[in-house]
Amino acid sequence: MKLVIDSVSKQYGRGPWALRDFTLEIDTGVLGLLGPNGAGKTTLMSILATITRSTQGRITWNGVDVAANPDALRTVLGYLPQDFGVYPNLNAVEFLEYLAAVKGLDAAASRRRIDELLNLVNLTDVRKRPLGGYSGGMKQRVGIAQALLNDPRLLIVDEPTAGLDPEERVRFRNLLSELSGERIVILSTHIVSDIEATATDIALISQGALVMHASPEDLLREVEGKVWEWVLPSTDLNAARQRYLIGNTTRRSDGTHARVLADTPPPGAQPVPPTLEDAYMFCLSRHRAGAAA
Amino acid sequence: MSYTRVLYHMARADFLERVRRYSFLLTLAGTLYLAYAVATEKMWILVGNEYRGVYNSAWIGMLMTICCSTWLSLVGFYIVKNSIRRDSDTRVGQILAATPMPKAIYTLAKTLSNFAVLACMVLVLMLAALAMQFLRTEARPISLWQLWSPFVLVALPAMLLTASLVLLFETLPVLRSGVGNVLYFFLWIALLAMGGTGTWDDPSGLRLLYRSTRAALHVADSNNPSDFQFSLTIGGTHAARTFIWSGIDWTPPLLLNRLLWVTAAAGLAILASVFFTRFDPAKEWFRRRARSLATSPALAISEETTPTSSPVVAITSTHLTPMLRTSARQRFPQLVVSELRLMLKGQPWWWYVVACGLLIAELTAPLSAARQGVLLAAWIWPILLWSQMGCRETRHATTALLFSSERALTRQLPALWAAGVLVTALTGAGIGIRLLLIADWQSLAAWIAAVLFIPSLALALGIWSGSSIPFEALYTVWWYVGPGHQLSGLDFMGTTLASARPQSFAFATAILLALSYWRRRTHLGYA
Repeated sequence: MKLVIDSVSKQYGRGPWALRDFTLEIDTGVLGLLGPNGAGKTTLMSILATITRSTQGRITWNGVDVAANPDALRTVLGYLPQDFGVYPNLNAVEFLEYLAAVKGLDAAASRRRIDELLNLVNLTDVRKRPLGGYSGGMKQRVGIAQALLNDPRLLIVDEPTAGLDPEERVRFRNLLSELSGERIVILSTHIVSDIEATATDIALISQGALVMHASPEDLLREVEGKVWEWVLPSTDLNAARQRYLIGNTTRRSDGTHARVLADTPPPGAQPVPPTLEDAYMFCLSRHRAGAAA
Repeated sequence: MSYTRVLYHMARADFLERVRRYSFLLTLAGTLYLAYAVATEKMWILVGNEYRGVYNSAWIGMLMTICCSTWLSLVGFYIVKNSIRRDSDTRVGQILAATPMPKAIYTLAKTLSNFAVLACMVLVLMLAALAMQFLRTEARPISLWQLWSPFVLVALPAMLLTASLVLLFETLPVLRSGVGNVLYFFLWIALLAMGGTGTWDDPSGLRLLYRSTRAALHVADSNNPSDFQFSLTIGGTHAARTFIWSGIDWTPPLLLNRLLWVTAAAGLAILASVFFTRFDPAKEWFRRRARSLATSPALAISEETTPTSSPVVAITSTHLTPMLRTSARQRFPQLVVSELRLMLKGQPWWWYVVACGLLIAELTAPLSAARQGVLLAAWIWPILLWSQMGCRETRHATTALLFSSERALTRQLPALWAAGVLVTALTGAGIGIRLLLIADWQSLAAWIAAVLFIPSLALALGIWSGSSIPFEALYTVWWYVGPGHQLSGLDFMGTTLASARPQSFAFATAILLALSYWRRRTHLGYA
């Protein structure tokens, strides 16, 4: 099972390139797609989900060219877009039954699977209520259920935990981890903790280009020995930001505890183990500096 | 807070948002075509016994104004009727609702924005009127007052009234939907009829112009028959004779009359604020699902009502039923049933009662009456079902879910069309069965052509416009003019043998389906 993205670029009209010469090979597991707003994550997801064509380049699914034969991918695809709607007059069961029919799934098997999926996303009690009355988080859970309807080999989820409460977020992360053993899951988010909990691989994307493709461990190794905790007076924080790349800050009684990303420590700073968020900030900052140079 | 400033900026922002859309250019192009049709005498006003006015400034101004105040007050309604819905869809409304903005300011601003869009079209026709008099050398000199005063004093108040009616329709629970689009057409007919028969001057100024031209013609030709005619004509024979009309003498009572319509428009805009819910989701929800709420204690289902006591990972995907793909033979019928269910879902019980009543009437009424009356009603009744075809995905933002499915173009689109055909066939089944039983093949062919044509028109307009309004507006007018008056060439239902043209509508069906397929294909990046 392999998805190959080969030199894919995308330009909307005559505007700037949303994606530029993007190359990546994806195997089974959860690929976390990380990047700042406007990096091109959603564009890449839309291309992979066969919603829009790439301007240049080629995508193959198990060796089959997706542009030439999109249905080869669509039959095994589960897709949760970042923004999607529901039909307000249908209830969750009817909506999922409709999408099961659109996906060409067996009616009897889909009914059983819909029951199980609604149980999985914790919507069994409200399954007969019209979707028009659902909250944002509940609609998101319906979206998750529809993405899993056809038992997809390729699951693409764009900001899936947006609007979910902490408990549902944990449920969904666990589900993704478990699904990844036998399929490719592509998870796009800028919530680093989601990636931390689930991803077996991480693709860092910025300004439409692939900055890095690595395992979380390799990404962490990039910043090994470069993360420092520095306690400084709150009033000095702005000045410190001018000199150092500063990540998370926490106010405590002895001052502000700042995580500094630097090759050499600020005076009095102590080394601390790096997190994925540190690695993300460091790699992104290095890429931007390189691009500016 | 300066309310004038708020009003100005709200109207300005809404206006700019509209005029920067591609659809606005199409609207202006349509208006230019209207001007062209008048300038090239495809449309003209016939008065008295085959008279028309000499093309001086007054007559050209009046001619263009009549086009504005009649056609644009109909078409303009459908063009601008989406301002509140757009704020709701874009969620800008929720931001506005959180500001201190009074409701009346909001509805007034939206009215002004509607009016500004319509006024742009009037402006195009004002310039076209000037160009027309330059090009036609029938009368000189050009008097800008005579040319443009009818626009300012007749057309613009009519546009303002249309703009405020739009707001009222958009804020009233039932009228904001497709029902309002259909009912407005009949209101428009009633307002025009007011110009012909009423004692008050109508908003379109027809009665005002009727009186003035009648007096002028009486001076020019005292032998003119007493049953004076005043009609905007499309096609047919041109006027044989001309007379000179120097325009309306704008006396204070006449000006006061026009001012009354402006005041009425302002009143309607303020009245709309009474019904405006300020994007309150509870009230919106209440209106949508009033019936279901009768048994529901909460206005909307909140996260808190869902069970939260279950363990974080209660079941896992290993418990999910493995999915089978249905056989190719079963897939299409299954999808047609799903599309049909989606189409019918949400209709109140009385919708089905009326549909059944019409079906029974089709079976029991005398055949000619059933074809010309009952079938007419039976095939306007499902208009709101048809109008969702092709645009439901856009309206409810489900395109990404559907278009990433296998064979969305070759399976879902035909299934949607087939569901539309089924609705049409079922609602008109009484007539179809009777024609079959008496072996009236010609009429049956017309009935079949209609069954195929109506959903095809809905599908094509829905896919191309992404909105239900064009079908609701066009179908209502077509239904009234064509089948309603048994007008040959436009009677797509074939209500009489003389007016039926089944081959033409079968051909139109094929064209519409091809257009739908082609447009949907371009929507699907990978189709």
